[in-house]
Amino acid sequence: MLNRRTALLAGLALPALQRTAWAADPIKIGMTQPLTGAVAASGNYVANGAKIAVEVLNRAGGVLGRPLELILEDNKSNPREAVAAVDKLVLRDRVPVLIGAWSSTYTLAIMPKLLEYKVPMVVETSSASRITTSGNPYVFRIAPTSAMEAVAFSTQLGKFTPAMRKVDFLSVNNDFGRGAAEKFSEALAAKGVTIGRTETMTPEATDLSAQLAALKQSDADTIFLTTGVEQQTLALRQAVEQRLGKRFVTTGGSFPDALIANPLPAGNTSFHILFYAPWFPERAPYPAIAEAYTAEWNKNNWEFAGLTEGFRGYDAVLTVVEAIRLAGKPEAEAIREALWKVDIHGVNGDIRFAKEGPAGQESGQNQPNVAIVTLSEGKTGLL
Amino acid sequence: MSAVFGWLFVAAMAAVPVVFPDPYVLSVLTSAGIFIIGAISLNLLLGYTGQLSLGHAAFFGLGAYASALVSLGFDIGIGFGLRLRLDPQPVFVGFLAGIAVAGAFGWLLGRLAFRVRGAYFVVITICFAQVLRMVALNWVELTQGPMALIGIPPASLWLPGQGVVPLYTKPQSFWLVLGVGTLAFLLVRQVVQSRIGRALVALRENETLARSVGIRVTHYLVIATVLSAGIAGAAGSLFAHYVRIIDPDVFLFIYTVTMVIMVITGGKGTLWGPVVGGLIFGLMPDLLRGSAPPEAQWIAYGVLMILLVMFLPRGIVPAVAGLLPARRRPAPAIAAMVEPAP
Amino acid sequence: MDQALQHLVNGTVLGGTYALLGIGLTLIFGVMRVVNFTHGELYTFGAYMAYGLVALLHVDFFLSLVLATMLGLALGALIELVLLRPMRKADIDSVMLVMIGAALVLQNAGLWAWGGVAKLVPTPFAGTPLVFGPVSVLPLRLFVLGVAATLLLVFWLLLERTRAGIAMRATFQDAETASLMGVRVGWVHTATFAIGSGLAAAAGALLGPVFMVSPAMGDLVGLKAFAIVILGGLGNLPGAVIGGFALGYVEEFGGGFVSSEYRDAFGFLLIILVLAIRPQGLVALKERVG
Repeated sequence: MLNRRTALLAGLALPALQRTAWAADPIKIGMTQPLTGAVAASGNYVANGAKIAVEVLNRAGGVLGRPLELILEDNKSNPREAVAAVDKLVLRDRVPVLIGAWSSTYTLAIMPKLLEYKVPMVVETSSASRITTSGNPYVFRIAPTSAMEAVAFSTQLGKFTPAMRKVDFLSVNNDFGRGAAEKFSEALAAKGVTIGRTETMTPEATDLSAQLAALKQSDADTIFLTTGVEQQTLALRQAVEQRLGKRFVTTGGSFPDALIANPLPAGNTSFHILFYAPWFPERAPYPAIAEAYTAEWNKNNWEFAGLTEGFRGYDAVLTVVEAIRLAGKPEAEAIREALWKVDIHGVNGDIRFAKEGPAGQESGQNQPNVAIVTLSEGKTGLL
Repeated sequence: MSAVFGWLFVAAMAAVPVVFPDPYVLSVLTSAGIFIIGAISLNLLLGYTGQLSLGHAAFFGLGAYASALVSLGFDIGIGFGLRLRLDPQPVFVGFLAGIAVAGAFGWLLGRLAFRVRGAYFVVITICFAQVLRMVALNWVELTQGPMALIGIPPASLWLPGQGVVPLYTKPQSFWLVLGVGTLAFLLVRQVVQSRIGRALVALRENETLARSVGIRVTHYLVIATVLSAGIAGAAGSLFAHYVRIIDPDVFLFIYTVTMVIMVITGGKGTLWGPVVGGLIFGLMPDLLRGSAPPEAQWIAYGVLMILLVMFLPRGIVPAVAGLLPARRRPAPAIAAMVEPAP
Repeated sequence: MDQALQHLVNGTVLGGTYALLGIGLTLIFGVMRVVNFTHGELYTFGAYMAYGLVALLHVDFFLSLVLATMLGLALGALIELVLLRPMRKADIDSVMLVMIGAALVLQNAGLWAWGGVAKLVPTPFAGTPLVFGPVSVLPLRLFVLGVAATLLLVFWLLLERTRAGIAMRATFQDAETASLMGVRVGWVHTATFAIGSGLAAAAGALLGPVFMVSPAMGDLVGLKAFAIVILGGLGNLPGAVIGGFALGYVEEFGGGFVSSEYRDAFGFLLIILVLAIRPQGLVALKERVG
């Protein structure tokens, strides 16, 4: 009798005790983003998206009965700092799962560390193909590759008038920019478009007159612009000054929101490939989720156009937390296993991972959705 | 006495991985150790020759890039349809290459910059690092530019009976850095206590006088620069194989400034100054992390640097040593540390 | 040829602001023997003040430029009084280290206050370029060039025609004799540092709206200012103007015709070339022991 009662009490008390221990001890999610430096605007948007996802989930009771804690580490728009950030997150904060690192260059730099520390990472933005094809089983990418983006874009070529005949590229000189130029060349060439020249710029360059002067000499009708929002803004403004008179299409899902408040002169329409168009949440695959995210963002009075990239952080946190729930415990290996089972609705659409890369050590890759937004005199439209 | 104290310090540091096997503590100490080696080399120029060389990150970065490239191998066009190709070499070859390349550039900079003095010298050394950063950023075929050199192999050591052993673990990296650091310290001590060191101090104190008694000023300055650059190159090489990624930002002025702050705080022209300053500034960012944002920390470093130069221009080590002799005159351990040269 | 003309125009506009930057730095060195590492930070400060006034407080654009310059002037005076005045007797290297410390404080205070994200400064100028034959230029850039030229002229008049200017030039040539002649060298130093800083802030406030405003914008610009004054000779005022335009043209033509990627490196390569071929420099001064 006594034995049974004690056992019963112990059985009741133990989980309760554990729960109190848990409540004081949140589950950590590590994230590294460029919060300062050349591509800081995008990094801050993504970080904000992740913050509100954590707030929303914590209000709903966290996961496994424990609250979530987002530990954010600045990678200063630099690949080496990205590695240092991951060292701190894993070795010091002991996070069981990571989200990062915006630019492909930073993500590629981090990847050997994931193998060394055996911690999975959800890649929210980076687009270079080799991130998921190099055989790193700790990488799970919810962002589209440049190749996916290019193919999805090329199916919408018919919407452009006059039609695209020849294209040039203006790319930031890193994996992101070069990869996009390569994959868009392939996809567009397959559709019969002539491929012209590629000009590159260093990530922190502000005066792009030399590159633009060279592109002006070309007979291409369209320029694909791949870089962070800061340089997108500079390039579009300086192109007007140099009278390029060509169509600009930005790739990668970033949006030069400064051009809404400070528009280009009339007659300059730019095109932007986005993965979430916040002006049209009803057109998102799951409008209710998109609207909830948008409402939460607006509560903080953040830059509206930042929603275009903030969703990456939001969706990444949803993905990670679902994996933790499925794993049943906040441990790196269990979360990695569970990420393969994730099947949820995010702002961008369905999130589930397909295997990519060499057999036995595949990385996960999600199939995302693409929208083309036009910007003219500070007003946006959907192409 | 000095030697005893020094070896005790080395032994205490060597015991750290055994006593605190925490990988985070070790990674912080290893990074700090690498920058201390950089500061030791900078001290040779800044402290003993009195030349404010503000391009030191150039040698650090050159060592890092040279060592990484030699151990990764490269295949580049060098114009006229010719190609230069190098197969991946063992890491110790890269390490030596890092020292050699940094030393060679030290000679070049010495030849170039010591034609002038004062403000001109300072500005030229800064520009030198800047040009190298531009080259690293834009010579993509060789350096991968802003994409950074990734997948750099870890340092390795040849051990009798075991062949070449890669140093993957944190304690191994830490011991390697400690070993190289000790060698660098001993080398600098040897140099400043030699004929060269006496010549350098003579010309620091009074260049015109040194010249008039027949000291070949530029000759000795160039020797000091080559040595200093070589040690900085060794530090850069350790850095490359430890963090295993190198990007053009290693040439940034802020890295030079970090080393300068270490030397000034500890005490320029003293052997232990860079070690003390390096430990303080190498560990502080991690101790303060969480309690103060990085911007606030850097503001504090800036203020500290101003206050030190204004009120404690000789640095911590001489100040502490200055307190000690009051007890009893012979405190040779500290005195020997403080004495720039006999 | 069309392209060359366009580069000529761009280079001139760039050179004007470089000259402003260079003249401030060289004046401070000439009068005070101080290598001013805060110069790039004052440039950033001017740009952020312009941004804050125009975009956040909605002050008139032109008034904001004037105010930003005045604030730069005030900050410069403050730095001189707090940091440099107590260091009057110190050697040149110690003063340099103090200025590096000050630059660290200013840059990180800026980062803390404004955040790491680059900002765009709204301007009342049309975004449509003015077209002259094959050449096009934004009205804003022409305005920037005009203001830069005016500031250079005003500065020259101040130096040549006013009592303060005469005192400054006297100190420039021989501080001891000047002080014997009744020049209050301390105040000349404060005025000099304030004016030099004001010119840097003006350059930042002018160029900020042309590009974007970010916390690290002063890093490269500060180093370029050194390049300019080395080209023209440290402490040589007309040299700084020549150096400024030389750097503007070298960057623009080098970037356009040689390699756009190495654009920022040309100035630094030029210095190393000048020193390798002509070690005494374009203008020899007594600092150059050789």
